[in-house]
Formats: sequence, structure tokens, C-alpha cells
Amino acid sequence: MHEWREHTSEIELHIVAATERDVFREATAAIADQLGEATGADGVQRRIAVDARDRAALLAAWLDELVWLAEREGLIPRRLVDLELDETAARGTVELCPGRPRHLVKAVTFHRLAFGRDGDRWRATVIFDV
Amino acid sequence: MPEPRRIDDTLWELPVGTVPGMRVPARVFADAELLDRIRGDRSLEQICNVATLPGVVEAALAMPDVHEGYGFPVGGVAATEPPDGVISPGGIGYDINCGVRLLALPVLAQEAARRMEALVHEIARRVPAGAGRGGALRLGGRELDAVLRDGPRALRGRGIGSDDDLAHTESGGRLEGADPQAVSERARTRGHDQLGTLGSGNHFCEVQRVDRVFDAETAAAFGLREEQVTVLIHSGSRGLGHQVCTDAVKAMDAAAGRYGLDLPDRQLACAPASSPEAQRYLAGMAAAANFAWANRQAIADRVRGAIAATLGRDVAEGTRQVYDVAHNVAKLETHGGRKVWVHRKGATRAFPAGAPDLPEAYRDTGHPVFIPGSMGTGSYVLVGLPGSLERSFGTTCHGAGRQMSRTGARRRIAGADLRRELEAAGIVVRSASSRGLAEEAPFAYKDVERVVDVVERAGLAARVARLRPLGVVKG
Repeated sequence: MHEWREHTSEIELHIVAATERDVFREATAAIADQLGEATGADGVQRRIAVDARDRAALLAAWLDELVWLAEREGLIPRRLVDLELDETAARGTVELCPGRPRHLVKAVTFHRLAFGRDGDRWRATVIFDV
Repeated sequence: MPEPRRIDDTLWELPVGTVPGMRVPARVFADAELLDRIRGDRSLEQICNVATLPGVVEAALAMPDVHEGYGFPVGGVAATEPPDGVISPGGIGYDINCGVRLLALPVLAQEAARRMEALVHEIARRVPAGAGRGGALRLGGRELDAVLRDGPRALRGRGIGSDDDLAHTESGGRLEGADPQAVSERARTRGHDQLGTLGSGNHFCEVQRVDRVFDAETAAAFGLREEQVTVLIHSGSRGLGHQVCTDAVKAMDAAAGRYGLDLPDRQLACAPASSPEAQRYLAGMAAAANFAWANRQAIADRVRGAIAATLGRDVAEGTRQVYDVAHNVAKLETHGGRKVWVHRKGATRAFPAGAPDLPEAYRDTGHPVFIPGSMGTGSYVLVGLPGSLERSFGTTCHGAGRQMSRTGARRRIAGADLRRELEAAGIVVRSASSRGLAEEAPFAYKDVERVVDVVERAGLAARVARLRPLGVVKG
């Protein structure tokens, strides 16, 4: 499950999911809401590989790659195909579609970045500069 | 958050201990009403967090237009002492050297009135605006390197800019120490086709008239007189600067453990000024700052072209640059007898007469300071006062400060309705996006009159002239 909240000059993504991989899956689908409309054409797959010091920074780096693909190649994420996740690395495949990027997201920030267990669920928060 | 302690009518303090780890107090320049608005978001907590940074000196400061940002609030100022005091990219912001440039035309508003709509339309036609928009000025690798190293000087070979423009730009339009190698390939890709473009959000190009002069002598020194037509350009380093900041925040966050840093907000990611991470960022920041000055130079060149096409070549050739100031930058300066890195995020220098690092033209007055209001309201030209060096590391605010979310603004007014209101007030409007227009509605910002009043009463800067909009090209 994900939720977007808007503040003075930013948007916040809040995710609740059953597993850490599901957080990435949910984030990949959620960011498409902000990146633009897919044109419905056949999708392409891209391999994404990021490294960071912890899960939260990995999630930020992952989303940053998706923002980059939208900005530079006009590709909107459709779904997470597969993901290998360890403490400091995330490697996976994303299916994306050509689309009309809105160029709304300028940066994935580390502001109030969070990724952790909450009871039997996992929660994450990422704030985007728009 | 405890109540700030009143120091005087325009200055409040949150003492050490307000949040754990504060090394210096946090101070807010505001009157009681502005302070009440400031309490509405997390700005006060954020400026206290800034006061925890290693090497921070005297106080972490919030300007009267402060609002919540990422890590540092927008309108936040902090000085850190090298070599162990930290450099924090969030204390400059994503849009490195976002700033404003004011041009003064040799015509009065009445003389240009019949051609005003044509002028605004021509500016909108020549200056690409909107999120992600590239422009006609595309730079190859070596030319981009030259811009990153030398700023607007590197565009002289294309016939863009003049020595007079450079002489009326903060730091002559060039920060020393810029290294193109410190700018990642991704940043270069984002920036190589964005020179001469406005961008989006609160970026704009506004045609104005000098509505009122408060200080005739200083206005004359700035080349301004009542009813004169001016153009104010607000833009920055575009995607290139954003990427430089993103790259640095990631790198410093990754290195935090090595420097024993435990920060209240990860966006405060930082490293000691002497560290490789900080040195790389400073070299990249300088390069991005130079890029931003070149961007505003290229935009100004297109504005001059629009002036020539609509008001005549003589008017374009007589159009002078009053000044260009940076909002988001860090500079090594001397304050209180020590060298410090002054981080200004959504804040501008306000150096008075006789201060170091002033351009020749403004040694006797102090340099111009610009505080844009929102669309439809006035903007101000001010001059720095000695109080800024005593109280705020030679700094004042950069605008009216956002007080409402973009969604909130869009809920309250549709872009088309706002356009009608502005046009009914005699303001010509061109906007890349109706949605973007609504987001920048005047009520989304604090009252610029009140902000400027506090700046003046606090002794940071004094009013020289007020500018009223005649037309706006919105990013």
C-alpha cells in the first residue's frame, strides 16, 4: 500500500508492505504516478543496480534511477520484475513503458528518509523535491 | 518546540538545548506575526537541527521568509569553521546558485505601454520555460567544461554578455575552484542542453516598472528611477545543479560513519571541509554556480533580443544590468575575525558600503539586493546595511517565502482564473503550465511587505525601490 502527501514544496511517499522486497515493488509502482503517463506501447526491461549504506538509502537510490530513466529516456515504470536485495545493494529488473514524462520530480531527497520494520510490516518514507 | 525567546522586535532565539546536540543557538529574524506563520511548519525544528552541525559558529539563522525545506530550511544560514567544520550540500540546496538578475531599460513604463504585451510574448517565445525544457543553446563537452570553469565569460565567444554585465554580477559571475571533473556525467547530461532556460516552479522572468523610490541617491547609483522599465530574471543551475547536490548528499551520507556523524536529518549529510568529499562537492558546487550565472546570462541575452524586436535596437543596447545575486551558495568569508564557510540556502548576501568583495560600481553604496514578491505583488530592491555583517553573516532573505503547498494553492484557485485576475490587474501573463501558474498564486507566499519591513527594522538591508509587475513569463 502507498500514499502520497503534499507539503509546501515537496511530495512524500509513504509505503506499508509485508516484506522489504514488497516495499521496493510498491515504490516502483507508486513513482509512476508522479513520473508521467505511459502511452500503452509495448514495455521494455531495464536492469537497475544500486549500492548504498542501508535499506533507506538503497530505496532512495533505486527511485533516483527510475526518475533518471523517465527524464532522459521517457520511460515510465510499470512493474518490478525481479529484485535481489542485500544490506548494501539492490539489483533488479524493471519493466517500463514509453510515456509522457511530466518532469515533475527534480530529486529524491534524504530528508526524513526512513525504511524499517513496524510490527509485522515494513514502512518506508521518501520525500521528493518537485 | 519551546517558545522562542524574544531578543527584540525582529529577532528571536531558541537556545542551545532546544533540541539535543545543538552547539550554538538558533535565531529567527521575524516579527510576531511572521513568527506565528513560521511556527506552522517544521522550520524552527530544522534551524535547531542546523545548529547541531560540527563546526557551526555563533548561531544558525533563519531569515523572515523562512519555510520548511530538506534538512536546512529555505531561508536558513549557517557558518562553519574549517578545517573540521562541515560542509553540508543541503545548506546550499538542490538548485545551486538559484538567483536573480535585474536589468534596467532606458525607457519609462508609459513609453513602452503599447508594446508591453508584445514584449512579454516575445520573451516567452525566446526563453524556454517549463520543467525539463531544454533550449537552443546546446553545449559540447569542451564548451560545457569552459562554462563550468568560467561561467558567463565562456559564452563571450558566442557573442553573449559583456564586460559590464560581468562587472555587475556577484563574484564577477565566477567562483574560484570550480572543477568540471567534479561534476558527474549524469549532471553534465542533465545540464548540457538547458543553458538559457528558465525551468519551472517559482522561476520567472518579470517585466516591471519602478513604482516607488525610497532612497533617491542609492537608486541613482543603481541606475534606477521612477517609472523606469526593468526585467527581473529568476533561475538557477537547472538539472545540472540538482544532480551535483544529489551526488554529494549520497556520497556524504555514505561516509557519515567514517567521520563519526550522527545527524538528526539525513538531508543534513555533511563532511569536514578538509575531507575529500567536501572538497569534491565545493569544486562541483562552484562549477554549478558558474553554470547558473551563465544560464542567467544566456536568458538575459534572449531578453535583450526580445527588447530589440519589440522596443527597438536602441532600447536593447541601452539596457543595463543592475546586478545579479545568488540565493543558494556557500562562500568562504571572514566574519568576526575568522574564516568561515557561510551556507546560504534561500538567502542572499547583503554587503554594505565598504565591505570586502564588492564590485567597483557599488563600493560606496553596497550592492543591490533583490527580494521578489509573488506574481501580482511588488518586488523590492534594497541595499545592505552594516547590521547584516554584525548580525547575519552579511545576509538577508531572498523572497517572500512559501506558506502554502502547491496542492493547497491549486485547490484554492485554477490557473485560468488566476490568469484572468492578473490580467484584470493589467499584468500580461505567459505561463508554460496552468497548473504551475496556480501553484505560484500570490496567497501561496508570505506578505513581502512584512518580510521587507522586518529586514529593514532588523538592520540587515534598507529599501531603495519598489518594482511592480507589468508582465510575467512563468516557468
